[in-house]
Amino acid sequence: MKKRLSIPILIACLTLVAAACSSESDPTTTTVTGGDPTTTLAGDPTTTTAATPAEPVVVRAAITGDEDTINPYTYISGFPGWNLLMMQYDTLMQLDADGVPQPWLADTISANGDLTEYTLTIVDNASWHDGTPLTVDDVKFSLDYFIEKATGRFSRDLRGVVAIAVSGDNGIVISLAAPNPAFDLVALADIPIIPRHIWEGIDDPGERAFDISTNVGSGPFMMTEYESDQFYRFVSNPDYFRGVPAVDELVVIVFADDAGALAAIRSGEVDVSFERVSPEQIALLDAQDPLDISQGPEFTTQMINFDASKAPFSDVVVRQAMSLAIDSQDIVDTVYLGAATVGSPGWVHPGKPAYNPAVEATFDPAAANALLEGAGYIDTDGDGIREFGGEPMSFDMITNSSDSLRLRIAELTAAMLGDVGIEITVVSVETATWEEAVWPGFDINNGRNYDIAVWGWSAPVQANTIRIADLVNSDPGIGFLNLTGFSNAEVDAISSQLLTEADPATSQQLIGDLQVLLADQVPFVLLAYPDGAYVYNSEVYADWEFIAGQGIVSKVSLLPASARP
Amino acid sequence: MRPLGLRNIFRYLAVFVVAVSLNFMLPRLMPGNPLALLAGVDVGLMTPAERAEVIEAVGLDAPLIQQFIDYWWSVLRLDLGFSFRSERQISEMIMERLPWTLLITVGSLAVSAVVGIVLGGFSAWRRGKKSDLSLLTGMISLQSLPSFWLGMLLISVFSVQLGWFPSFGAVTPASDFEGWGHIGDIAKHAILPIVTLTVLSIPGVYLTMRYAMLEVLGSDFIRTARAKGASEARVLFGHVARNAIAPVVTFLAIRFAFAFGGSVIIETVFSYPGLGRLIFEAVSGRDYPVMQATFLVFTVAVLVANLVADLLYPILDPRMRVR
Repeated sequence: MKKRLSIPILIACLTLVAAACSSESDPTTTTVTGGDPTTTLAGDPTTTTAATPAEPVVVRAAITGDEDTINPYTYISGFPGWNLLMMQYDTLMQLDADGVPQPWLADTISANGDLTEYTLTIVDNASWHDGTPLTVDDVKFSLDYFIEKATGRFSRDLRGVVAIAVSGDNGIVISLAAPNPAFDLVALADIPIIPRHIWEGIDDPGERAFDISTNVGSGPFMMTEYESDQFYRFVSNPDYFRGVPAVDELVVIVFADDAGALAAIRSGEVDVSFERVSPEQIALLDAQDPLDISQGPEFTTQMINFDASKAPFSDVVVRQAMSLAIDSQDIVDTVYLGAATVGSPGWVHPGKPAYNPAVEATFDPAAANALLEGAGYIDTDGDGIREFGGEPMSFDMITNSSDSLRLRIAELTAAMLGDVGIEITVVSVETATWEEAVWPGFDINNGRNYDIAVWGWSAPVQANTIRIADLVNSDPGIGFLNLTGFSNAEVDAISSQLLTEADPATSQQLIGDLQVLLADQVPFVLLAYPDGAYVYNSEVYADWEFIAGQGIVSKVSLLPASARP
Repeated sequence: MRPLGLRNIFRYLAVFVVAVSLNFMLPRLMPGNPLALLAGVDVGLMTPAERAEVIEAVGLDAPLIQQFIDYWWSVLRLDLGFSFRSERQISEMIMERLPWTLLITVGSLAVSAVVGIVLGGFSAWRRGKKSDLSLLTGMISLQSLPSFWLGMLLISVFSVQLGWFPSFGAVTPASDFEGWGHIGDIAKHAILPIVTLTVLSIPGVYLTMRYAMLEVLGSDFIRTARAKGASEARVLFGHVARNAIAPVVTFLAIRFAFAFGGSVIIETVFSYPGLGRLIFEAVSGRDYPVMQATFLVFTVAVLVANLVADLLYPILDPRMRVR
């Protein structure tokens, strides 16, 4: 009997489910402007007040991958995790559309002549989400807290700070051990200010499980709801010190991959993607109404790394030949369909003031062949592959399988290097394995377990030009991102000097010289700076601000024009 | 029901010990490490001393054998520990995900069991005829469909083109639905994942049922039943189906156990917040405790399902009863 019963029950259940579906509205109409009573806003007390004539602006944004509770100790990724953190918190300075730091929580900022002392005054109209006023004490507390309790990013920003002193009612003086001309960019525009009354009771942020009750910031948005791997809900802060945000609610939806996020953009279920759109999708999405694309230069990098600490890559001739053999323009055209800037062999992005235009990428396979022949890397057995020390020049090129653009880069560069007699086998592994090979334990003191790798850095590494020392200095204390094991005395000298040079003209001269030197020494082959491209539904919200080098994911995008820096 | 023999109990116990020990080994055998997860993306900016502190805080600096003993001790106390990523109780995280996973996996299992058994039985009965051959071909083609492709196809047609169903998630984000509205919302979100999983699992049930039926159809007692004049329906339902159902039940029991592993691919395609996605995120971040815990749940589910199938077999098939 039991067996017979189950089928009718099942049919009944299915009918119920089907009925529930047909009574629901079409998902494509559940946009904010639709006004459909059964849509996402129904019954929400914070957004449906009958008295206000204007529809609340709700923006639904897509990200791929959960960012945990998004406080300074829990956010996961540098992008877009840090950007979402900054929706809730403020920095002392804020980047404007050109990527230049402007006064924000600090309304005046001045530095002494040798750039070792920064004096700031804090605005008097900022307050925390719980209503407590934000004071200079909170600022001092935040900096002290990050120095004392390690976070990767903010503690690093503050290395070199020797004293923090409150002066007067709202002044603060930050003293540095050595000149740091980029302190405004790397620290003042990067570090979130946290409320003392919430955090002073938290002794060990690394051990604590947070919930959103800790997320008390001063920023334009307050997190009110978080479902792990599903969504975040941010509502606007009506008391924001720069003015009421232009967007009333920001719902950030966590997708498992970018294919899902794109489908949801196309179906109208989300209004903007906080992830970069891949080049082949740009034209396709732009053609679809009401979708628009916001595109501009960004400071992320794509490069070819090699282990320069061992033969044959320790030989500068081999590195120079590889650089000559790789056609970066072809990679920009073929892989990025033009949506990227060709990489400068001197590392610095051509859009940056420090860029030295004398440095240019050269593609010349004949010269590469001649270089290799001249240095004795000759194909003795006639198999098309050169030999060094009796061994064929055959190497694995490792890349991460989750990034299809990198895979294409790997295939293309492998073919280009093959043309000059260097045989490359592309090895595609998952991200953690790839990272562990290139950067074991995230500590260059652990060495390297690869020959050649496709690699890339996030925008902050490029954003601050003097951080070039991080990548090329052979002292692990300074060049802590020197993943290729590159070492050159002259590069060491200039890059070290650059870190503490207070005079802007000398600094500019040093950076210019260093670029020429790097183009000659080839610590890595920089292929391209991919553009950032973001898709949004212009009917829902169109005022996105593209910050040079950083993209649209910023609180600035969600503020009215009058409140922007 | 036959009592479980001592030898069988021992066998289950041995499998459990080996499998649970492997669950400890596997995450640690993978290249890569959980540092990025523990310290955040900016781990590269930390000093070696800061990094060492992070490793020490979660006990990963202890000798492997010590970690292994601690691990077994917590398994025996049913303490799944805390996630490296969120520092939350893993049992809590699993209980949060399990209902979503069970909704789509059990939902699809139920539908595919009914459809698969009916079609498999029909096909076997019509063996060699046109309807059997076309069904068989159709099922084998279905079985070879890649699951992510089918999921993306359904999203593209039913979400993007037609706009009938949502393309992602288990509920409408930040929707504040209540009561029936909430249930309707859940159902609407579950339909595409369930349809995808169902389409993909029907062929398995169908083929198992069809072959089991064919085997029984060829046996002597069926010929006897026909010879004594039993109607075709009676032969089919009273004799053949009854005898063919045992392998199908085992198949379904195992499939049910696999439901506890979630469906990594389908949950990824539909951004569905189930166990499969938890496992996927844990593996990609090397969240050792979450990997161990989810593997443990999965191991236990498979063992229990096997046990249940073992115990059910003699009830379904008298020939299996031990005297």
